[in-house]
Amino acid sequence: MNLEATRQQRPAFAHLVWWFLFAQGGVIAAILIPVHVLVQGILGPLGIVPVVDRHYDTWVRVLSNPLVKLYLLVLIVLPFFHFAHRLRYLLVDFGVPAAKSVPAQVVFYGGAVVVAVVTIWVVLTTAPMSFG
Amino acid sequence: MKAPPASAETPTSATPLVYVPEMGRGWWLAKRHYFLYIVREFTALPLALWLLWFLVEIQRASNGPKGYYPHSSPGFVAFSVIVLGFAVYHSYTFLSLAGVIIHIKGVPARLIVVSQFALWLVASVVIAAVLIGFAR
Repeated sequence: MNLEATRQQRPAFAHLVWWFLFAQGGVIAAILIPVHVLVQGILGPLGIVPVVDRHYDTWVRVLSNPLVKLYLLVLIVLPFFHFAHRLRYLLVDFGVPAAKSVPAQVVFYGGAVVVAVVTIWVVLTTAPMSFG
Repeated sequence: MKAPPASAETPTSATPLVYVPEMGRGWWLAKRHYFLYIVREFTALPLALWLLWFLVEIQRASNGPKGYYPHSSPGFVAFSVIVLGFAVYHSYTFLSLAGVIIHIKGVPARLIVVSQFALWLVASVVIAAVLIGFAR
């Protein structure tokens, strides 16, 4: 009962942060992902159009651009906070109340944070930065 | 605002009633609307897998010219076709919601939704142009 009382008084700041990331990640995913899947996942591999990631030299040249690195970071990291939220509530909807618990939140949002850290590491270590 | 009576704040019974919603296992198959809602939530999984696989391709660029190879297998293309379906469904449902989420005085909700779809189109064209334009 004491726990209930403190829970009610606590401002929903964490909720606000996750909701903001959820919404932003959703917008980024909606606007940016389909074209990448279409061009890099279908048209490029099938050889219908030339795509920048088909050859090492063109891919590295693009990846070394700091703006591209920043873009990739936004493209990959933000949607994962959206995915974490959605998949957690998918479990809730499938009748897994444990998905609402704090440990579940740590697992899902923590997973998104792990993806963020890995992405930062990959983006910074793959191609040396240059504006060329 | 009138202060509520003191009794309203103290629980009347010693054991509080907890509402337990009843949900059968297949509730989401009962109505088309429920099913589409679950599909919308589920889109997160294929999109997440595709992005992680894309991250693998980015990482491969650190293997040098001899070690790099892009995703090319028929399996990857088939996977991408499926993911594209989910991706477009996510975009369609999420951008349609913009009219509910964003409120600007004097601007009809329909116009906001149309502007979001226009943004999606423009961004897609620009990204495709970069992906194809910098290729050889």
